[in-house]
Amino acid sequence: MSGELARLPIVYEPTVTGLPPLRPYLADLWERRRFIWHLARTDLKAEHYNTVLGQVWVVIDPLFLAAVYFLLRSVVRPAATGADRNLVIAHLIWAVFFFMYTNNVVMTGARSLVKGGGLILNASFPRAVLPLVAVVKAACDFAPTLAVYFVFQVVLGQPITPALLFVPLIVVILTVFNTGVALLVAPLTVFYRDTANVIPYVTRIWMYLTPVLFTISEIPAGLRAYLRWNPLYPFFAALEQIFTGSTPSLGSLVAATGWAVVAFFSGAVVFLSREREFAVRL
Amino acid sequence: MPSASETPPAVRVEDLWIRFRTTRERRQTLRTTLAGFRDRSKRAMLVDALRGVSFEIPAGSVYGVLGRNGAGKTTLLRTIAGILPPTHGRVSVWGKVTPLLSLGVGFNRELTGRENILLGGLTAGLTSDEVRDYAPVIEEFAALGDAIEFPMRTYSSGMFARLAFSVATHLDPEILLIDEALSAGDAAFKMKSMNKIVELCERDCTVLIVSHGLEVVRQLAEGCIWLERGQLRMQASASEVVAAYLAEERISTGNAVALEDV
Repeated sequence: MSGELARLPIVYEPTVTGLPPLRPYLADLWERRRFIWHLARTDLKAEHYNTVLGQVWVVIDPLFLAAVYFLLRSVVRPAATGADRNLVIAHLIWAVFFFMYTNNVVMTGARSLVKGGGLILNASFPRAVLPLVAVVKAACDFAPTLAVYFVFQVVLGQPITPALLFVPLIVVILTVFNTGVALLVAPLTVFYRDTANVIPYVTRIWMYLTPVLFTISEIPAGLRAYLRWNPLYPFFAALEQIFTGSTPSLGSLVAATGWAVVAFFSGAVVFLSREREFAVRL
Repeated sequence: MPSASETPPAVRVEDLWIRFRTTRERRQTLRTTLAGFRDRSKRAMLVDALRGVSFEIPAGSVYGVLGRNGAGKTTLLRTIAGILPPTHGRVSVWGKVTPLLSLGVGFNRELTGRENILLGGLTAGLTSDEVRDYAPVIEEFAALGDAIEFPMRTYSSGMFARLAFSVATHLDPEILLIDEALSAGDAAFKMKSMNKIVELCERDCTVLIVSHGLEVVRQLAEGCIWLERGQLRMQASASEVVAAYLAEERISTGNAVALEDV
């Protein structure tokens, strides 16, 4: 009985400062890693349950999208033939694949807390689990598309050089960036349900402002100075260099890392300082 | 034999206040926030769900929580589970709290019962190895037969409840919070779950039960808490509180609906 008495209680009190104690929070989150993984895995499994082609849609979907954009581009700017056309096709495919990664994180991340309302109200766990599940899900959908892209890189006669070894690095930095964005948009949707309605338009415009449908060399010099401020710009600039056979410029890598760090920390601060309110707002 | 006051507490609630902000239009949107700037009456209303509640639950005891709808019973359990932050006051818990506030938390209806055992266990905070150890016992207790291999969307609500109850009560809880979840399944399973609760109570597990089934509370619980409009009306032995509650609500003891034997 004295052993029971000596045990320290868990105490819940109104927090004075916004952020919860970080060390126990992160330890708790780390303990929940299997939970995050299983929620993501089972969610994906359930989503692809009822379609005939199942998981294959993960690749077909963005490929169709790239095909549609190729048709669109061909109308606006008739494609050249041969090598030039292959370059355009390859660019569209990888750019759409990569943009869809961020796009999916934003879309599912924004809804993650509202959709997980039942979990939030009835179970106690670090709430960051839910946006992280959105990131893991989007990453699981992204991975096969990236693998498929390398087939196109070969088929379309694009250069196979050691520069391709930079792709994993970009993917890691982009994942950090995406995680930050997910942590930012998730609470926003809790406090303003309108966010979920606005996000599809925001991401669509974001795509037009990112070198997805066009290459960087196609941007008029006057516009480029503005487009540079798009956080995704350095990622796509580096990727364009990589997939056309040159090593990415240090400037792009530094800028991309910078945006990733900014997004991650601002997302984490916003999320952690607000997460105790979620249960009250859902 | 230690008296109740010498037993260390499992849960201590001190001057607990919980305040909700709700808007008249249930959801806060940008529009309602903007409207709040122009028109004060459209601003969020504050609702005090709990107003200065204090009590202690001795470790290893079974307590009932009584009160009308909206008295703050579920809010109280959610605060003890660490889901809702106190607006004022303090809640201390000694031990792992397993909330059974709603059945099948974390379950995915597209997945099989077996897969959902893992998901439910992970939601409750166990490691996957721990859940795997418990899984055979949970399956046996739920007694769903072959249905354990079927997706849960094919389950009847009774089958769903059986599995959810089995998962929640087999996770070795130290402090178990039950919100009206006892009425799971058919008569045979109700008996079984009742026995399970009794077993948990005997095993040093602290249980807090919110129930409208007064007879259940009287049979199971040693002590009882009566909440009224967010305030503690009474804390005493279960039979005393149930009697006082019945007298107040003017329900005759012969009223089978109110006593609903579970």
